[in-house]
This record gives sequence, structure tokens and C-alpha cells, in this order.
Amino acid sequence: MNALAPGSAPGPDRRPAGARSPRPPRRPILRPALGSALALALVLGLAACGPDDIGDHPDTLRILAGSEVKDLEPLLSRSGLKLKISYTGTLDGAEQVAGGGADGEYDAVWFSSNRYLSLIDGAPARLSTETKIMVSPVLLGLRTAKARELGWAGGKASWKQIATAAREGRFTFGMANPASSNSGFSALVGVAAALSDAGEALDAAQVSAVTPELKEFFSAQRLTAGSSGWLADAYARRGGVDGIVNYESVLLGMKDLTLVHPDDGVVTADYPLTLLASAPPEKRELYGRLTAWLRTPDTQREIMTTTHRRPVVPEVRPGPEFGSAPLLELPFPNRRAAADQLITAYLDEARVPAHALFVLDTSGSMQGERIEALREALVMLTGADRSASGTFSRFRSRETVTMIPFSDGVGASRTFTLPAGDPGPVLEEIRGYAEGLGADGGTAIYDGLRAAYAESTRADPDHYTSIVLMTDGENTDGASPEDFESLYRMLPEGRRPRTFVVLFGESDVEEMNRVAELTGGAVFDARDGSLAAAFKEIRGYQ
Amino acid sequence: MKRSIGVVLALLLGAAVVTAVVLGNGGGGPAVVRGVIGSEKKPFFDDPRVRAAFEEHGLRVEVDTAGSRQIAAEVGLDDYAFAFPSSLPAAEKIKKDRGVSRVFSPFYSPMTVATFQPIVEVLTRAGLVRDSGRGYQVLDMAGYLELVAEGTRWDRLPGNTAYPARKRVLLTTTDVRTSNSAAMYLAMTSYVANGEDVVTTAEQVPGVAEKVAPVFLDQGYSQSSTEAPFEDYLVMGSGKTPMVVTYEAQYLSRLFSGDGSITPEMRLLYPAPTVLSKHTLVPLTEQGGEVGRLLTEDPQLRRLAAEHGFRTADPEAFADLVAERRAAVPRDLVDVVEPPVYERLEQLITAIDRLYAGGAVPQAEGGS
Repeated sequence: MNALAPGSAPGPDRRPAGARSPRPPRRPILRPALGSALALALVLGLAACGPDDIGDHPDTLRILAGSEVKDLEPLLSRSGLKLKISYTGTLDGAEQVAGGGADGEYDAVWFSSNRYLSLIDGAPARLSTETKIMVSPVLLGLRTAKARELGWAGGKASWKQIATAAREGRFTFGMANPASSNSGFSALVGVAAALSDAGEALDAAQVSAVTPELKEFFSAQRLTAGSSGWLADAYARRGGVDGIVNYESVLLGMKDLTLVHPDDGVVTADYPLTLLASAPPEKRELYGRLTAWLRTPDTQREIMTTTHRRPVVPEVRPGPEFGSAPLLELPFPNRRAAADQLITAYLDEARVPAHALFVLDTSGSMQGERIEALREALVMLTGADRSASGTFSRFRSRETVTMIPFSDGVGASRTFTLPAGDPGPVLEEIRGYAEGLGADGGTAIYDGLRAAYAESTRADPDHYTSIVLMTDGENTDGASPEDFESLYRMLPEGRRPRTFVVLFGESDVEEMNRVAELTGGAVFDARDGSLAAAFKEIRGYQ
Repeated sequence: MKRSIGVVLALLLGAAVVTAVVLGNGGGGPAVVRGVIGSEKKPFFDDPRVRAAFEEHGLRVEVDTAGSRQIAAEVGLDDYAFAFPSSLPAAEKIKKDRGVSRVFSPFYSPMTVATFQPIVEVLTRAGLVRDSGRGYQVLDMAGYLELVAEGTRWDRLPGNTAYPARKRVLLTTTDVRTSNSAAMYLAMTSYVANGEDVVTTAEQVPGVAEKVAPVFLDQGYSQSSTEAPFEDYLVMGSGKTPMVVTYEAQYLSRLFSGDGSITPEMRLLYPAPTVLSKHTLVPLTEQGGEVGRLLTEDPQLRRLAAEHGFRTADPEAFADLVAERRAAVPRDLVDVVEPPVYERLEQLITAIDRLYAGGAVPQAEGGS
């Protein structure tokens, strides 16, 4: 269903309707990162009702799910129950549930973990019974040759050893953004707990204490992603790093990887299918039937063999692929403040800082509502969105932001450098810049893009550089796609940032897919939805 | 931390597909009696043999599950013929609120700790576990609380090569704010922290809460239902859950059923002191009272309760099952203390809840 260019599928919610794939996607579904605003409902076992039917039926269980469980669709279609599953990002989904937005809209939620969700004020009261369906720890997968080189061919190393090798520059890795993906957040919690000498759940003081070590560890992170699925696909397609941090289930499905099981502990996703307290009795019964079926030994065995997740009932023993050593589970923070501080420390101090280049269409067709939407989308990233997810996705300390407007030609680019300390004044400048954007003239997309790549060659190599291309129409002026491609190919391989394309208005879907495919980026479709939501989602990839 | 009553239809593990059959009372079929119960009794009420035994007496018992604290604190009991929480304090609260004269305590279960033989050896060396001399092993709660107060990690216990984990020695429990088993554990630990005495006055609460809070807070995130950490113990083993606070019945029902989930390395410890979880049925209608009476008096139902690991007024059925499995289980429990009364227990939980919140700061940092 998701015929997007390889490596360019943030999700079916922003699926360009007319896009054709140059070749079949590697996986049937590129496990996507999704924005809740546009979550696509998938209806299983409900022949009379298409995906567009958003009404409720007493015999249909409506589930709000994380994109991580999308790979269970074939299995779920055989549950004998009518299910309607809508996908959303982890943090977005958590905020939606905690704020009551899921009540009445859904009967159950299914994320890879409820831990962060249950820390949000008001969230526990919205949840009823939780039933674990399967488990998968977050591990490091390394190219087999690299694992051998580091002495970890047997899959044994501690996070401390991994952090030491990272500090010494002996390997690089990719990991999903902890603010947008549960796998990234779990890894961050695990690494922080293991590197800290505490032994109990981290509190705010311990997070501060361990931040310097986190910084050393994350100096080796050279690939980020908004979702665990995209991360796996991006690594499989282009490599570029020596390995990735991801769910064991994802890593077991990939070739030429040695799974490192840190013996100082991991954080495990347990996929609790959770009834909402607001669900009426008939939905509670459906929920009971679904969870009972999912936990039958036969279903558990099938989940294990088809998705590489570990079973949760004692009747089914884990297969040999999971190894025999028990995995030590690290304690997870039980306070929202500690969890949020950990994410903040990652974004502002520990991670390789981002250099985000925005190539912005300011042509005449953008006049009116469209330029207003663009201004608003950018202003949101300066801190106007006060939700936790909005706060995490705004421009962060140490980050560099370059704005490259284009119309007939390339306008004056402007670069903002956020300091390590208080980002407030620079955020204010960016806001002022965004609010001053106008719209006039033609659409020289590739001139704009070429300017961004030229600019990127001057970018600080100690930043993680990526490009966002936002356009609402077809290329009318300046360089052609071919001109852009030849420039792109002239760049040294290690200095070719990915371009994340936002479709808007009358974007040329095929051409935009080609840009994303060529550069290893992704396409986000904001044509029927919010430009701000698309920009926010892209922040997970920067 | 009040939750709307999380009443849930048949959801527990092993529960077969639920058919919501609602039978009328006039058709000659059994009368439907609906109760709200603590989740750990769900497998008992779902057992076809239990259902058949009730039907012999003309009753079809349907149950919803909810946490015992929720059952006691919420008012939505009007739809039910009986409430069957897992602890006496909760039952007493309902009894008082609803003006019920007679309650039934058909079975009980001590709080225990499920662990593994290598861990038992480590704890024995540390002086925390001793043999009772009567065929079962005892966990010293006072010694345990000292260890927690010192922040001891597994890898710092002398001579520990079996489980050298870089994490704190902590019993895994559920969330004390929602779950009865954790509240029972709080009853045990508060007794020790209160100088070997039941917490009886409001003045004792703040000091005791502060002393026992780390056994909950330092665990980090805890799950909300009693079945979940026990299942982690069964499935994921010592890596995730080296020691878990359970009802004795949870462990023994698995052992008695012989389903293989209790492996040869698994061990059950009896904390000293422990508390009894007295499953107490509060009838809200006449038929609800009949359910209580049958559970207490019917020999068949008592035997089935024993098979589900509960201790009943008929100790022989339980003792026979223990002997059959050669289980290291005491026939009589000696070191048992009473839980605080409902109000005190609630005050302790509220005080710990406040300590959870103590670390919180406003979440949004603002944009500029």
C-alpha cells in the first residue's frame, strides 16, 4: 500500500496518492513515524466498512497504536474480531491519551510501552486494564565485521564498554530520536542508567551527573530518525554508520548484524494492549477477547516466529535466536521530571548538535493562507508550541539553523546559531524572521536546493546536517532536477546530507520522491493536513 | 491518584474467549449474580469447575475486576450483588459505608516473595534468608529494609558471583497507589519501620512513610496489576525480576496445576513478618450473601479454592496439595502481623504518593 520511494516513507498518513515506486519497497510496509493529526485508520476484518469510515460500531474495537505494532496487521486480521487501528507517534499519542483526546474516539491504546505515558499527570486515570502481549529489548546491532574488530563477536559488551569505544571513535551508530520514538527513549534511559553508578531509578540529580558520560557516548551517533522503522530502513539502504540501536525484533530481521546484549542492563518494550477507562462494556468484552486470543500459545508462537518478539506467557518458551543469557532490566524513571530532564539533556547537551537547513518556497503561489501556514509552522519550532512534544521539537541549544528562501531565484540565506546556554534571544530572532517571510515570483526549487547543498559544504562537520525542502508547486525557474543531481553526486560521499521533503499545495510528487530517494531522506505529505505537524515530525529526523 | 473504577470483563491470562451471556432469571436457568473482585481471583471464578459448582446451587456468578483500593474508594457498587476485595481493610471500609452486617472471609493467602535458588544463596550469605526449620525459608524484612536504606547493590553483596547485577537490591512490587498486593507489602514494611508495631495513629504516618518510601520509589516505574510482575518473573526470569512480592496463591496455583511454569530453580520465601491477604466478600444483595456462604461452606468450592492456591477453613485440602507437590510451604503461618486499619493504610499510601510527586517540576519549560 505504501508505494513510496525507498527510504522515503514517513508513513501512510502523508502518502502521496499518485506516487509510484521505481521499484517495490523492500519491506511490505516501511514502519512509519506518524503524526496523530493525520493518523490513518486501518480496518481489519470489516469488509463492509472502508478505511474512510470513521464512525463507531459496537462490534468494532478501535485502537490507537504506535507505529511499532504495525507489523502485526497480518496476524490481527486473523483474530476473528473487527478492529480499527489508527497509528500515531509515541509522544504525540501519549499526550493525546493523557489529555483525554482518545476518550470516546478509541477503546484501547497499544504502544510499545506505557511507561512514559503513565508518568504524565492525569494519564493513569484514563487507562484501565493493561495486558502485555510481547516483549522486545532495545539493543545495539553492529556490522558483524565491526563487532569482531571491537571484540564483541560473541554479542557480549557492557554499555560502559560501548561508551568507551564510542568516546575513542572506534565505531559510529544510528539511533531514533528519544523525543519522538520509544526505541530511542528506551535506549537513552538504558544507557543513562547503566553509565550512572546509581543502581536505582534515575532522578533529576543523577541525570545531571551522568550527562558528561552521555555526551561521550552520543558523540558516536551519526544517524538519527523519527522512528525505529525508518532508522532500520535507512541503515539497510545506505549504511553510513557501523550499526544501529533498535528493538531486538527489528535487529533480528536484518542481515549481517551482530546483536550486542549489554550485560549491565537493557530497557525492554512490553507492548501493553491497554483498555481505556472510557470504553463502554461491549468494547471491554471485545478487548477481553482480543487479549485472550493474542495470549493463546499458538498466537504467541506465531508472534515470536514472524516478528522476532519474545513471548509473554510461560507456556511458550523463547526460541534460540534470543540467546540464553537473562537480560538484566534497568529501572525506569518513575517521575515525569526525571524522564523529561533526560530527554532535554540529550537534546541540549549530549547529542551531536543539529544543523538544519530549510529550503523554503516563497513563490507567488504561496501567497495568503499558505505563507501564513509556513510562518506558523516555523514559529511553532521557536517554542510557541508549549506541549512537551512541542518543546522537545523546537530548535535546541547548540543547534544551527539556516533559512534559504527561494522564488525566481535563491533569496538571501540567513543562519542562526543557538548558543549552548539560553536559546531565548535567538529563538526570538528566528520567530521574527519567520513572521517576515513574504511570497512573490516563480519557483526555482533546484536553485534553492543547490544553494542548500553548497551551504552544507561549509557546515561544521561536528554538526548533524540535514535539509528540509518545502515547496507548494512545480519547478518553474532555474536549475533542473538533473542539474541538482549532478551537483549532489559531486559532493564527497560522507558530506551528502539527507533532504526531507514536505509536500504542500501542488507539489510534483514524483520529482519530490526522487529528491528524497536520491538523498536518502523522506517525504512528508502536508497537502491535506497541517504544515506545522509535518515540520514537527521532521524534527525527529534532524 | 484516584482512578475511575477499572472494572473489566474477563481479561486475565488463560481466560478463554468470554461470551457475555446474559440470562434472564425467569427462564428456569441459573440466576446471574454479578460481583466486583480483585483481579487475582479472576482465574478462580473463570474455572469451569467453579462455575459448575455454583450452577449446582442455581447461580451463575459473573465478575468484573478492579483494584481493591478502587473497589473500596469508589461508589459504583450499586450494580453488584457483592464486592470481593483482596484485603480486610478494604472490605471493612465497604462494610461500614454500605451498612452491611455480615461479611465472609472464605479464603486467605499470605504475602510471599517469589525468587530463584541462586538469589536465595546470595541472600542467605548476606544473612537475609534463613531456614525456618519447618520446611520452608524465611526472608528477614528488618534486614531487608536496612539493606535498602543503605542503597545496597547486588554486585556489592559479599561473595555474590551468581547475580552480580549493577542494580539495587529491591523487591519488585506493583504500584502501591493502585494495587492491593503492594498495599499489603506496605503493611508489612510499615510494621517493621514502626518499631515492630502496627501503625495505629496518624502521628506515626509521616515518619513511617518516609522510611518505607524508598522500597517503592527506588524501584522506578512499577506496574499496576499484581499479575504483571509475577508474569515477568515466570517468563523473563531473574534478569528483570529477581525477587517479586506475590500472593502465595499466585505461585501455588501455578505449582499445583503442574503446568510447568514453575521451574526447578524457582523458590518461594516467607517474609518475617508477613501479612495475610484476607479475601473478604461483602454481600450487597441476598444472592451476593449466598455466594459468600457457598464459598465458605461448600466443600467442593473450598477444595477448588485450595487448588487455586488459597488457604481455606479446610486446611487438609491445602495440605494435601502441598504434600503432593513436596512444596516448601508452611502448614501454619507463625510470623503474621495485622495490616493497619483502612484509614491508616490510606494515609500511608497518600504520604508515599506525595513523595512520588515530590520530585516533579512543571513540565513545560516555555519557549523563550
